[in-house]
Amino acid sequence: MPVLRSREIPPVPPKPPKARSKVDPPATPTQGREQPATRLSSPHSLTPSPKTAGSVSGSAPSSLRRSLRLSSKGSSNVGDQVGLPEVERCIESSNGDVSKKRKLSVDVDGGFESGGSRVLSLRSGGKVTKRSPLGDGDVNGGGGGDEVVESNTKGKSIAETEYIEKSERDNEKENVNRKRRFSSEEKGKGKLVVETDLESKDETLVNGSVPDVEVPAEEVKSPDEKPSKRSNRGTNGGRMERFRDTARRNASRFAYFNTQEEEEKEEEDNNNLSMEAEREIPSVEEQIEENVAEDWPGPFSTAMKIIRDRAANLNVRQGSSSSGQVPSVKINWVPQKGKGKEGSKRLAPSLLDLSLRILVDNADAIASLDHVPDALRHKLCQMLCDSRRMNSNLLDLLLSGSPTEIRLKECSWLTEDQFTECFEKCDTSNLTVLQLDYCGQSLADYNVPSTLARSPISLPALTTLSLTGAYRLSDAGLSVLVSSAPALRSVNLSQCSFLTHGAIEILASSLASVLLELFVDDCQSIDAMLMLPSLKKLEHLEVLSVAGLESVTDKFIKEFISARGDGLKELNLSGCGKLTDSSLKIIAETCSILRALDIGNVPKLTDNSFGHLASGCRSLESLKLCRNAFSDDAIAAFLEMSGEILKELALNNVGKVGHNTALSLARRSRNLVSLDLSWCRNLTDEAMGLIVDSCLALRVLKLFGCTQITDVFLCGHSNADVEIIGLKLSPLLEHLKAAVESPLQYSSVSSLI
Amino acid sequence: MKKEDTVKLISAEGMEFVIDKEAAMVSQTIRNMLTSPGGFAEAEHGEVTFPEISAVILEKICQYFYWSLQYSRGKETEFHIEPELTLELMMAANYLHT
Repeated sequence: MPVLRSREIPPVPPKPPKARSKVDPPATPTQGREQPATRLSSPHSLTPSPKTAGSVSGSAPSSLRRSLRLSSKGSSNVGDQVGLPEVERCIESSNGDVSKKRKLSVDVDGGFESGGSRVLSLRSGGKVTKRSPLGDGDVNGGGGGDEVVESNTKGKSIAETEYIEKSERDNEKENVNRKRRFSSEEKGKGKLVVETDLESKDETLVNGSVPDVEVPAEEVKSPDEKPSKRSNRGTNGGRMERFRDTARRNASRFAYFNTQEEEEKEEEDNNNLSMEAEREIPSVEEQIEENVAEDWPGPFSTAMKIIRDRAANLNVRQGSSSSGQVPSVKINWVPQKGKGKEGSKRLAPSLLDLSLRILVDNADAIASLDHVPDALRHKLCQMLCDSRRMNSNLLDLLLSGSPTEIRLKECSWLTEDQFTECFEKCDTSNLTVLQLDYCGQSLADYNVPSTLARSPISLPALTTLSLTGAYRLSDAGLSVLVSSAPALRSVNLSQCSFLTHGAIEILASSLASVLLELFVDDCQSIDAMLMLPSLKKLEHLEVLSVAGLESVTDKFIKEFISARGDGLKELNLSGCGKLTDSSLKIIAETCSILRALDIGNVPKLTDNSFGHLASGCRSLESLKLCRNAFSDDAIAAFLEMSGEILKELALNNVGKVGHNTALSLARRSRNLVSLDLSWCRNLTDEAMGLIVDSCLALRVLKLFGCTQITDVFLCGHSNADVEIIGLKLSPLLEHLKAAVESPLQYSSVSSLI
Repeated sequence: MKKEDTVKLISAEGMEFVIDKEAAMVSQTIRNMLTSPGGFAEAEHGEVTFPEISAVILEKICQYFYWSLQYSRGKETEFHIEPELTLELMMAANYLHT
């Protein structure tokens, strides 16, 4: 049975819902088909399907799963069956078994003989001679399938078969209403030459004609011809037209996806298929370049030019042997069988991990945590919180004696009474780090004085305070707390939705000269412009995080960065949707020692930002992008210039990331430790392999949503140290390491006293 | 076992455990002690003393060393730890970097 693996979302909207709902018994085919028709409000009625449903359902050979599916769809299969030959043809040319199946499935339709009959029967009863599999109906549809097939031979057969099967499922659904299919043609998805006449044109299109990836203009207007054909249901031309259209549309979808893959496949297998496709790529890239304003500083524009030239070199280098170092958009990487993960020894789990796991399982039996160093306490707490076994008894153990560091990444289990009880009797005089994340249930204004702020000197040594999610804490409560903790260096008040800009004023009034780190992510009641004056008072601020604050505008950035930007080491602007390139310009110009920047989910940023960043922030070690609209070339050029010192890079859902970025990563990112390429669907196995084998410092690679990556990469790469997360099912929390190991991120505490 | 291939680990109570060098090297700390240049006594005599680790724990640690070697050679079994030892074992494992 076909396995419904996750598949890439096709660009054509109407299809996927149908495809999913597809497992109908023969009884309900009409229902399924009626839905599409009504959705597109086609004038055509659904008469064909009910009439022919009966005739078809009986003749399905049961041996083939595909034919079973097809047969259940009734008459629409008529269209599908003929659509299949095209795909069949291609498949047969390279994959004998599959093609045989498909051929047989064609025979499902009424009037076909089983076992390779060449006759298509039309509704009107006439027969259309089907030529040899290679000469079947719509060669272009087959051609499109060719691309699919080529991919099949490269070892992605399951995925591609999926697509074909899915496309046929789609065909079945949509064949009933030809208007619908043709309407998606109208959307311009068809990319193949239109055949207007069945028999004669078949000859010309047989074999050999390689489908161009780019759509000749005349094809788009082919839909005009179709209505006339469509109205004439009984004719050969109309039906073949339908089939061709369907295959054409689906093939174009495949072609669209596999464009770049085809380029590499060519290197490996030396066929001429994608030659034309490649020639198209440089022109497309150049168009992208032209659109962007050329006001980048010199080195960056040089880098961009180099990258553009890579694409131009494509044609020049096209015939040359693939010897790996050619700087073209093609990636030359061959999986190394036998090396890499399989070759290296399986490491035994460390004794520390083993004992921690047993401790977590038997947490209730722990009698005392004295003499356990803080690092181990934090590890234990983290594992306990992750497995929801943390309770107030363990909290008592943690708080016994005079603890120095308490890190609870998750306090949602802690009730207010428990919190009060535990902290009332806790000796906090040596406490340097207090992290009570998600403590909203426990911490409110009225129990701060009795627990944490029992006296004005109750927290003398506290340098790091994290009270995220304290939604009942108001400015007044924070004021009491802060007055007891005069040595605070790092304050995390994320998601404290009750706090207003007054809270920042409080911090500025008492901690102006000492505060180094401030996190106010998602504090919805804080208006950025109102807190600006207080922020400017913080003299030594190193880390500012205003993620999710919609009120952060270019004006805010301009004023704050001009005042305090030169000392900033980390800036988190994730989700500040109003920011534009001008903010990045100012940041790049002023924040010369910036080490970490997060500009995820800021959709208005363009490639110009990269130009500024590349020339400005020379110390950038961590860059996080998410759902940005940057182009492949801009990222590649940035990496060429600044990739050497980069340790952490996240390109999550930056859809245009492609082979230029991969090449730049491989060449430049010697120090890259953590890389997030989730949802970057343009990267192929080869590109991934090149990246992983070249970035020898890489330890973590996140590939969520990259369903195009197969075992060719996973088993073929030779980097034994890298951990690949996100492709197989694995416990997620294991990969989220504790955020900070030391109290402060960029300075040590002792250096400030 | 030849003398050159073994090291002696001495617990807090004075109990001595003689194990293969290869097994002892599973611990990063011991490996550094034995291989670092500088003529340290541990490296010369092949003896390492652990005044904070008790004999029971040290015995368990030696068992872990051999289990770890076995595991990396392919024989993947389970290493059982008595719960009452776990806390001290954790701290010793942390110290020994293993």
